[in-house]
Amino acid sequence: MVRFKNRYVLCEVVSEDPRCRQCIEDRAVGLAVREAIGRVHGDYGLACCSISFTVKYLNAYTGAVLLRCRKDSYRLLCSALPFVRQLESRNQRYPCALNTLHVGGTIRTCQKFLIQYNRRQLLMLLQNCTNEEERRCIQKSLLSCSLTEEQSQSGDEEDDDGME
Amino acid sequence: FSVGYSAVALNHVIDFKEKKQEIIKPVSPSELFPSLPIVQGTSKRIKVLTRLTLVVSDPSHCNLLRSTSANIRLYDIIAVFPKTEKLFHIACTTLDVDLVCINVTEKLPFYFRRPPVNMAIDRGIYFELLYTPAIKDSTMRRYTISNAISLMQICKGKNIVISSAAERPLELRGPYDVANLGLLFGLSESEAKAAVSTNCRATMLHGETRKSACGVVYTVKKPRKVEEEETTLPACKKAKTQA
Repeated sequence: MVRFKNRYVLCEVVSEDPRCRQCIEDRAVGLAVREAIGRVHGDYGLACCSISFTVKYLNAYTGAVLLRCRKDSYRLLCSALPFVRQLESRNQRYPCALNTLHVGGTIRTCQKFLIQYNRRQLLMLLQNCTNEEERRCIQKSLLSCSLTEEQSQSGDEEDDDGME
Repeated sequence: FSVGYSAVALNHVIDFKEKKQEIIKPVSPSELFPSLPIVQGTSKRIKVLTRLTLVVSDPSHCNLLRSTSANIRLYDIIAVFPKTEKLFHIACTTLDVDLVCINVTEKLPFYFRRPPVNMAIDRGIYFELLYTPAIKDSTMRRYTISNAISLMQICKGKNIVISSAAERPLELRGPYDVANLGLLFGLSESEAKAAVSTNCRATMLHGETRKSACGVVYTVKKPRKVEEEETTLPACKKAKTQA
C-alpha cells in the first residue's frame, strides 16, 4: 500500500534567558530550523526537508517541540538541528540551542517518550525543591500523569521557572 | 540545564610559542563545583576529569612529555596538537599521549598518510575533532568538514572522538546531536555513536593506564597450576625507560 511515511523528531529548546520562553512559538521555531537547514545543506537540503515539514506540537513552558518531516529526509533535518543558534520573533533575537530527545515514526511513540521524560524531569525537580507546598504539588502531578483516551496532552507539567 | 553526559573533561591548553611555560597543577574539580550534579537515569555523580593539550610546533617541545615533571602525571588525559607533518608522525608513533587533536579551524598544511595513522590506531591513540567552531562560523564549518572527511578517508572511521571546545554553555550539544554531527563528518551511524560513547571511554581507560603503570598485567591460574601472565589491554606499550 502506498503511504507517506513520516518521521517525528522530538526536541527541547534550551536557553539561558528566561524571556526566551515567552517567544517560543511554532512559526519562530520553524523558521529557525529552516534557516539552519539552509545554511548547512544549501538549497537542495532546504527543498528536500520542507516537503512535509511542520511543527506539530510546542510547549512553551518546558520547551518541548515536535517536528515532522519525510522519512527520506529526516537525516538532513537531524544533522542540521545542532546548528540552530537563535530564535527570532517580534524583532527579538534570543540565543538558544536545540537538544534532540527522540525520533519516532508516529506521534503516539513520541508522546509516550515525552511523558516518560517529563516524569523523570519532575522527579529531578522533586529532589531539588525546597518548599513543602511545591513538593506536594509535584507529587500529586506525578501520580496523575498517564496517557488518556482523547489524545490530549496529559501529564501535568509544572511551570518551569525554577528549572533551567 | 542538563544535556545527558556522564563524564566531562576540563581542558587546559599550553602553547609553546611563548617563552618558558611551566606546567601548572591542574585545578581540582572539587574547587570548581561544590557539588556535582547527578547523571540522569543513574544515581552516580558526573565524573570530571582533567585534560592537558599541548600545542607543539617544534620537536623540542616534545621533550617536555618525556621529562619527569610531576605535574604532567596529575592530568588524566593528555592530548597533543601537532602543527607539522613531522610532528604528526612523531605524535602517532612514539609520543606518550592519549589523543591527537586535528586542527579544524584552518586548512591543514599537511596531508594525512596511511602509515602513521595505522600505527596510531594500533597503539590505541584516538584522533579528536572539535565541533564548536562549526556551530559558530561558516568558513570554519567548511574547514571542519573538509578536514574531517579527509581524515575519514584515511582511517576508515576508526578511533575517532568528537568533542566540543565550548566556551559558553549554549554551545554544548547533547550526545544524540553530536552523533548526528558525526554523520555529517562522513562517519557511518554506528561509528558516529561509538565516537561519542565507546571511544571516549576507551580514551579514559588509556589515560588511566598511562598514569598508573606502563602496562597492566594480571595473572590467571590455569588448571594445571601454572601461572600465566597476560596483558589485559591491547594498547599497552612496552615498558619505557625514563629519558
